[in-house]
Amino acid sequence: MTEISIEALSPNREQPVPGEPENWPRFFSFSTDHKVIGIQYIVVAFVFFLIGGFLAMIIRGELITPEADLVDRTVYNALFTMHGTIMLFMWTFPVLNGLANYLVPLQIGARDMAFPRLNAVAFWMVPVFGVILMASFLVPGGPSQSGWWAYPPVSLQNPTGNLINGQFLWILAVALSGISSIMGAVNIVTTIIRMRAPGMTFFKMPVFCWAVMAAQTIQLFGLPALTAGAVMLLFDLSVGTSFFDPATGGDPVLYQHFFWFYSHPAVYVIILPVFGVFSELFPVYARKPLFGYKFVAVSSFVITGLSAIVWVHHMFASGTPGWMRMLFMASTMLISVPTGVKIFAWVATIWGGKIKLGTPMLFALGGLVNFLFAGITGIMLAAVPFDIHVNNTYFVVGHFHYVIYGAAVMGIYAAIYHWFPKMTGRMYYEGLGKLHFVLTFVGVNLNFLPMHPAGLMGMPRRVASYDPEFAYWNVLASLGGFLLGVSTLPFLLNMISSWILGEKAPANPWRAIGLEWLVSSPPPHENFAVIPTVVSEPYGYGKNEPLIASPMASTELTSELS
Amino acid sequence: MNIRLILKLAAIAGVMTAISLWVGQLAYTWMPVPASEEALLVDHLFSFLTTLGTFIFLGVAGTLLYSVLFQRAAKYDEGDGPPIEGNLTLEIVWTAIPLVLVIWIAGYSYRIYDEMNILGPMEHMHGGAAIAAPLTLAQSTDAPEAPEAPEAIEVHARQWVWEFYYPAADVTSTELHLPNHRRAKLTLTSEDVLHGFYVPAFRVKQDVIPGRSIDFEFTPIREGTYRLRDSQYSGTYFAAMQANVVVESSADYQQWLTDVAALSPQPGLNPSYDEYQVKVENRDNRPGWKTVEPAPYPLVNYSGASVLPER
Amino acid sequence: MSSVNLDQSLNSTATVHAADHHDEGEHRLFGFIVFLLSESVIFLSFFVGYIVYKTSATDWLPAGVEGLEVREPFINTIVLVSSSFVIYIAERYLHKENLWGFRAFWLLTMAMGSFFLYGQAVEWMGLDFSFTDGLFGGTFYLLTGFHGLHVLTGVLLQGVMLGRSFIPGNYDDGEVGVAATSLFWHFVDVIWIILFILIYVWQ
Repeated sequence: MTEISIEALSPNREQPVPGEPENWPRFFSFSTDHKVIGIQYIVVAFVFFLIGGFLAMIIRGELITPEADLVDRTVYNALFTMHGTIMLFMWTFPVLNGLANYLVPLQIGARDMAFPRLNAVAFWMVPVFGVILMASFLVPGGPSQSGWWAYPPVSLQNPTGNLINGQFLWILAVALSGISSIMGAVNIVTTIIRMRAPGMTFFKMPVFCWAVMAAQTIQLFGLPALTAGAVMLLFDLSVGTSFFDPATGGDPVLYQHFFWFYSHPAVYVIILPVFGVFSELFPVYARKPLFGYKFVAVSSFVITGLSAIVWVHHMFASGTPGWMRMLFMASTMLISVPTGVKIFAWVATIWGGKIKLGTPMLFALGGLVNFLFAGITGIMLAAVPFDIHVNNTYFVVGHFHYVIYGAAVMGIYAAIYHWFPKMTGRMYYEGLGKLHFVLTFVGVNLNFLPMHPAGLMGMPRRVASYDPEFAYWNVLASLGGFLLGVSTLPFLLNMISSWILGEKAPANPWRAIGLEWLVSSPPPHENFAVIPTVVSEPYGYGKNEPLIASPMASTELTSELS
Repeated sequence: MNIRLILKLAAIAGVMTAISLWVGQLAYTWMPVPASEEALLVDHLFSFLTTLGTFIFLGVAGTLLYSVLFQRAAKYDEGDGPPIEGNLTLEIVWTAIPLVLVIWIAGYSYRIYDEMNILGPMEHMHGGAAIAAPLTLAQSTDAPEAPEAPEAIEVHARQWVWEFYYPAADVTSTELHLPNHRRAKLTLTSEDVLHGFYVPAFRVKQDVIPGRSIDFEFTPIREGTYRLRDSQYSGTYFAAMQANVVVESSADYQQWLTDVAALSPQPGLNPSYDEYQVKVENRDNRPGWKTVEPAPYPLVNYSGASVLPER
Repeated sequence: MSSVNLDQSLNSTATVHAADHHDEGEHRLFGFIVFLLSESVIFLSFFVGYIVYKTSATDWLPAGVEGLEVREPFINTIVLVSSSFVIYIAERYLHKENLWGFRAFWLLTMAMGSFFLYGQAVEWMGLDFSFTDGLFGGTFYLLTGFHGLHVLTGVLLQGVMLGRSFIPGNYDDGEVGVAATSLFWHFVDVIWIILFILIYVWQ
């Protein structure tokens, strides 16, 4: 069967395929197409990103002055609780699920995910638990005010005494989120293990898929621990059991163990796919193979393994004995090694290449630099004596926002820009993209760098008010925060106007190597008319070898790519 | 290898080292004035980590910057770069060096933590064995203080006020006084939720856990007034749960204890309670949700000042 | 590869679909096994919690409670573990396409599962401590309750499979539903054995 790619030869598509890309109502339906579900996840997640960001704007507004003078303290505490909860459970997890959903079947040469209906169910749970979470603003007593960790005994205090209170709704929403995530994890892991195209051994699979598989493995084995802790917390809160309530014999520190046993690996669930994105993008925009592909691929699983044995580093100042603190210091420091492998590999990939600074590359580079900084402060935090001083201060808040916003969100933006043409069949406006990058990069550094000296000087986190000595850093941080709020505007403008009016995109606008770039933009209904047979490793830039088997296609491919 | 290249790299490494060492010295100024033995140790560790971190950051970011500035594709060049896929030696080296570095850092940190020796036993309050034994390896090298028994003080935390009890003198206060150059041994308890005992100037922190009694030690070395802050989020007025820590000479400390013991109990400091009264009397016009009521003013011999003295 | 010729693509996808069906069944079983592995971690977490509480609590048993009666739960255990063999026999009958043999032993499994649930309920009603009676009460009812929920789910799933066995052509694409339900049942069994040892034996 000859597979001639017409799209590659004539970049402008005249006729839209009937019932497909132009059929926009399908994005509001219960579709089982992974491409539709992927975009649904991304868009819904972005809406919650804006909501969580709006809460952050109020927080920064409060913190621009030392006194608690903008909102009531109970309101402030609800704000930071919901900001964290929304950003983690309603933005980063769903948006990365969306990217994985969209890209994995295409990248491995499959028609869809292993369980398309389960996929749709898992997605539609997201708006449901999102609404439940937001509804907590409307119940007496307000939303949860115990932080996104929900540590007992504070989370058990329930001042209104009602059964249905903000904390209850919070636990319910998080539990549903866990169920949705596990459904997604089962789906993705099964898909990657069982549905790769012929010829695609694990070491011919793109790193993004490796990273996603590693991340979803964490979800599978980590989430249930959180569920267990959440169930026990819920019973303590609603029924009066004594699991974590010290007044009746319970142990609040055990909750911390349950919580962090999942929530530490959870941060790797967030960053691993972003690492995967970086690994995909740098070869394309430097026109060079990924340096040390095998090391990079395997390091994802080394990180997964190690991520399971570091959780106590969140509890160095808690009710943990000295030997435990030392043990987990060692394991935490160790995890920097596979992470360092990736960073060096990316630098080596870029070095000596032919670099093009398109918007995706700018975001990826910015993300890499921010991650480098965050990794260094992370190693500092792993050192127990230092952590004792800065634990629960703004130093930690600065550190993790550098990771989450500076690296992960910028990586997510990079991915959205890079695959926007594939997903929508349109090109975005490069100028707006570059503006978005500048505002974001400056905003991230202005917002989160000052948090480090504030923490070093002893400013605790989660405070609605602070001593005047911290005012200077907070003013800078708030200005950065407002800049970040503004930075979302060119992005929104770009996405919406480009999707409607952008120039039509060819199958492979970046001349990238990968199965997803062999199909049209957007791809047809079941992705591949004939499942290709993969013959070479990914990222074969400069090598002039065909990616898939077909005597005719190899000449077409090479003429298309060189 | 090319001699010129080696010399160039050596020069760059030299400049990076110089900058890193300089930033490492700067790191001391980012911390509050060290007011305890432990602070000196922690600041050394932080300086070391900053020096190392700066070097790594400059190296990696510098390489990237060079690449991005000088290795861009020519304007109409749509070709690929060289198909370099890896270099086993390099990959092994950049796995091994971080491993060695990390072991070095961990070892140094372990020694510092051991020397600090701040955490005592954490006993469950109603009898029963201690759930955690302290690290009983190498003892502190501070020989001069060893013979003197630590000053024992009880710290009671409740939502949202700190109360201090000095058993030797049977004195209570809402301001912590400590004798200079004498090891302080605090027994931390909470009456309700998790709190965090944190004095940035001393670089010490310990979560206070309800249902447990935690022994915690450190040695102040500098007279002055410092801030104690609640570091473990504890509810509505968490941010207002602060107190002053006054380090004074041993003689002044003893004098203070004697003077204060004579004072009859009066309401101590409780800014949370003051704020709550404003809210209850609706004097601030800001909507809010129902909150746990703050504990009322503790009856103490000495209340102290609510804010740090002007510098 | 891009689909240029619509007719071509439709034709080829049709032939691929038939082959996909068999694969789908295998995917489902694989996915279910992955799910079970994940589910086992939630029980593992509860077990760890139980062990930590039991070894560190100062007041473990509630006032007036001496311990747990082991005889009836032990009988329940025998019944539940035996039912794993019974369900295995049922599967063998199905594999040999003996539908009535399959249904008989399948029904017996359901009966044994229901007996277990009944026994659990009887035990619960006879206990002199409640869910909110300290750490012991909390962990006991949490563990046995969560497990019981899984037993109930297993019996219900078995009921669904039993009903489906009457649909003609139900097993044309393989016996994935039965295999998965059976696997679930074995899982529930193993969890119970660990639970029994932790709660009843280690007292």
